[in-house]
Amino acid sequence: MTAPPPPGSTAPLACATHQLSVAYRETPVLRAVDLRVPAGVVMGVVGPNGAGKSTLIKAMLGLVPPLTGRTEFFGGPLSRARQRVGYMPQSASVDWDFPTTVLDVVTMGTYGSLGWLKRPGKAQRDAAVDALRTTGMADLAHRQIGELSGGQRQRVFLARTLVQAPDLYFMDEPFQGVDAKSQRAIVTVLHALRAQGTTVVMVHHDLATVTDYCDHVTLLNQCIVASGPTVEVFTKENIRTTYDVTTGDDTFLDLIA
Amino acid sequence: MTPAEFLGDHTFRMVLLGTMAIGVVSGALGSFAYLRKQSLISDVISHAALPGALIAFLVAAALGWDGRSMPVLIIGAVVVGTLAALFANGTTRVSKIRIDTAMAVSLSVFFGLGMLLMRVIANGSFPGKGGIQDYLFGNASVMTVADLVTSISVGGIALAVMLVMWKEFTLRTLDPDHASVLGFGARTIDAVMFATIVVAVVIGVKAVGLVLMVAFVVTPPAAARQWTRTLPGMVALSGAIGGVGSGVGAYVSIALGNIPTGPVIVLTLFAILVISLVASPRRSLVTSALARRRARAAVTRELAMEEGSR
Amino acid sequence: MSFVVGTALLAVVTALACALPGTFIVLRRSSMLVDAISHAVLPGIVLGYVVTRDLDSPLLIVGAALAGLLVVLGSEWLTRTGLIAGDAPQGLIFPALFSVGVILVSASFANVHLDTHAVLVGDLNLAAWDQLTVGTVSIGPTYLYVMLGMLALNVGVIAVLYSRLKATTFDPQFAASQGIRTGLVNTAFMFLVSLTVTAAFNAAGAILVLALVTVPPATAYLVSRTLPAMLVLTVTIAAVGALAGFWLAYVLDAATSAGMAVLFGVLFCVVLGATRLTQRRRVRAGATAPARQAAPLR
Repeated sequence: MTAPPPPGSTAPLACATHQLSVAYRETPVLRAVDLRVPAGVVMGVVGPNGAGKSTLIKAMLGLVPPLTGRTEFFGGPLSRARQRVGYMPQSASVDWDFPTTVLDVVTMGTYGSLGWLKRPGKAQRDAAVDALRTTGMADLAHRQIGELSGGQRQRVFLARTLVQAPDLYFMDEPFQGVDAKSQRAIVTVLHALRAQGTTVVMVHHDLATVTDYCDHVTLLNQCIVASGPTVEVFTKENIRTTYDVTTGDDTFLDLIA
Repeated sequence: MTPAEFLGDHTFRMVLLGTMAIGVVSGALGSFAYLRKQSLISDVISHAALPGALIAFLVAAALGWDGRSMPVLIIGAVVVGTLAALFANGTTRVSKIRIDTAMAVSLSVFFGLGMLLMRVIANGSFPGKGGIQDYLFGNASVMTVADLVTSISVGGIALAVMLVMWKEFTLRTLDPDHASVLGFGARTIDAVMFATIVVAVVIGVKAVGLVLMVAFVVTPPAAARQWTRTLPGMVALSGAIGGVGSGVGAYVSIALGNIPTGPVIVLTLFAILVISLVASPRRSLVTSALARRRARAAVTRELAMEEGSR
Repeated sequence: MSFVVGTALLAVVTALACALPGTFIVLRRSSMLVDAISHAVLPGIVLGYVVTRDLDSPLLIVGAALAGLLVVLGSEWLTRTGLIAGDAPQGLIFPALFSVGVILVSASFANVHLDTHAVLVGDLNLAAWDQLTVGTVSIGPTYLYVMLGMLALNVGVIAVLYSRLKATTFDPQFAASQGIRTGLVNTAFMFLVSLTVTAAFNAAGAILVLALVTVPPATAYLVSRTLPAMLVLTVTIAAVGALAGFWLAYVLDAATSAGMAVLFGVLFCVVLGATRLTQRRRVRAGATAPARQAAPLR
């Protein structure tokens, strides 16, 4: 496994937001976020509940209308980079009773690149099987998706994004509700992606594992508290500011350290 | 036509009082269906009221009673309407079918049953079978004093039940999980709540018609919600909107002459809704558009200040 | 073609044309929206008549379908405003539109033959009355060919949209992130549904169309593990149920579309009961055997 590319201001950006703000009704959720994600890093986005982590990703991908600001992908608008960007949503967003199999769901990851009349063929299905193998789900390819456990569902979602082979991944809490085995499988994929130099932006909940998984981290609470290489910005002081923990109450911080 | 002339006429008075009673009862009880996010259950109930009333008519005719008497028809409609509502909710509990499909299945199948029975009655020789057709579109002008008394007393009972069980209804509506925890017997409360909604729908079907009854249950609460923040306020305002809307609609339909009452009331209620959506000071299209613009301005200002301080 | 055979065919084709898009309607949780659409047919036709002054004009169908689409888009817009909760938006617009239709009919067109009762209830035999003849040979009801055209259109559009429909139905957010125009797919599909409902109300009546659209797919949904399986099963149930319902109504001299609706309902209840029984048996077996997760697949 190679080391992550050295983070420097000269590194090309995989994506960047400029003054991105989002409001649900009148309440602002994100205020003037300037996020810069250098190419080739695993960027963790952490912050308390309601900090706007998922909203940030959705706004960047154009799934929620921004109040102000814009987002660039590889130096251009999203429409020009659509096929290079993959999104792994939270599992709650899906109807798990939908009559479809695991393989079928993963194949749906290729639909974006298919034209109106084209059907997924052998090439698409082979790619799906490959992606399932990568996430350790090949044995369950013909299961109905409702029969999967939470961790298996997340692995299917990951496979569905992998099959697109994007250069930039957006993952919304990939480790939420995941068993130990699935967690290991997802971490393996994450490390492999990092080794290939693929960029990952990941909403992450578990502060204890941030330093293990992420080269860069963004501490977010409506606006960016700090963003940069994990070793530099993932400090007690920054975490305290982000999570609004009163000084002296360091038990919380000791737990995660 | 002046209001005095209007009120002087017996038929007009019946129409006015009858529709207003329906409006108040369905508006008030519709609030609970609205807050439970199951407003369309009223559409299922009104369509299932048709076979209910027809079965009651057939049974009564077989027993040699007057099949067209309002209490008999109401009992039949309430029983079958409740069955349809329970069928829809039960289906979602025992299978992966969602509530929208469960309601569609219940509505269309019960209505199909009604149409089958309608044919049976049309082909048979039953005393007083005329007028049964009115259930489809309703006919407010055939309302008799006895009908009015029945509607008001049955609707009054439903409202009384609502008041007696106010605490339970409120808990169950605003916090379903909590109500079960307190051991109130969630199923029992649900059954009573839906039964009152069934009554509200059923007493209106004959005057308004089964197709339009849904508007009486859905529109007043949706309009009232824009002006109120508390449940008592919403229920009271919704009942008032239902009553006033029905009264105005009934008056307009008769004053213009030869225009069916139900549809005019529905349009009146719809107009009240539109006004509420546009003009309510608390929550409305205008205020939310303004709020959004304000939020954007505030953020832009913030940005400009940061820019300046840099 | 004899009248009975022609009418039976009309019943089957109508059921198929409705049930096919119905599969996606059930999966998209839009079943009650079809009820709303079906009630917009009356005002749509009346307004179409105001423009064309011709009750046989095909423009009436397009007008009614547009009215149906108006209900769909209006309800979705009301939901998006966030001012009205739950399923209420769907119940607000269609009664108002329907009222406009009833008032227009009673006030201005009392002399025109537009039976509001027939619009709601429909009559298959009446729809089959007008026969198409080639030379001197009857080749079945004219309306049969209208519905065949509708069925062909449904098959064609769903074939073209299949992947996109599936993706937007299963996970709209992910589909949107892939660049699929979810709004466009939704509008195109709902217009197709509107068109189908409008075409079918002549044969089945506005309210019973709802049964044809939702009950066969709901029945198939109970037992299907994949989308193709559900489609095949839906189509089969629709065809068999329509034939059986038609035959039953014919024998019992009952209303045809109502008979079909009730028969579909009975079928649904039977399948629901059966799945419930097997579920319970599996649960009971599960108490001694390994859990469901680990159970080997068929």
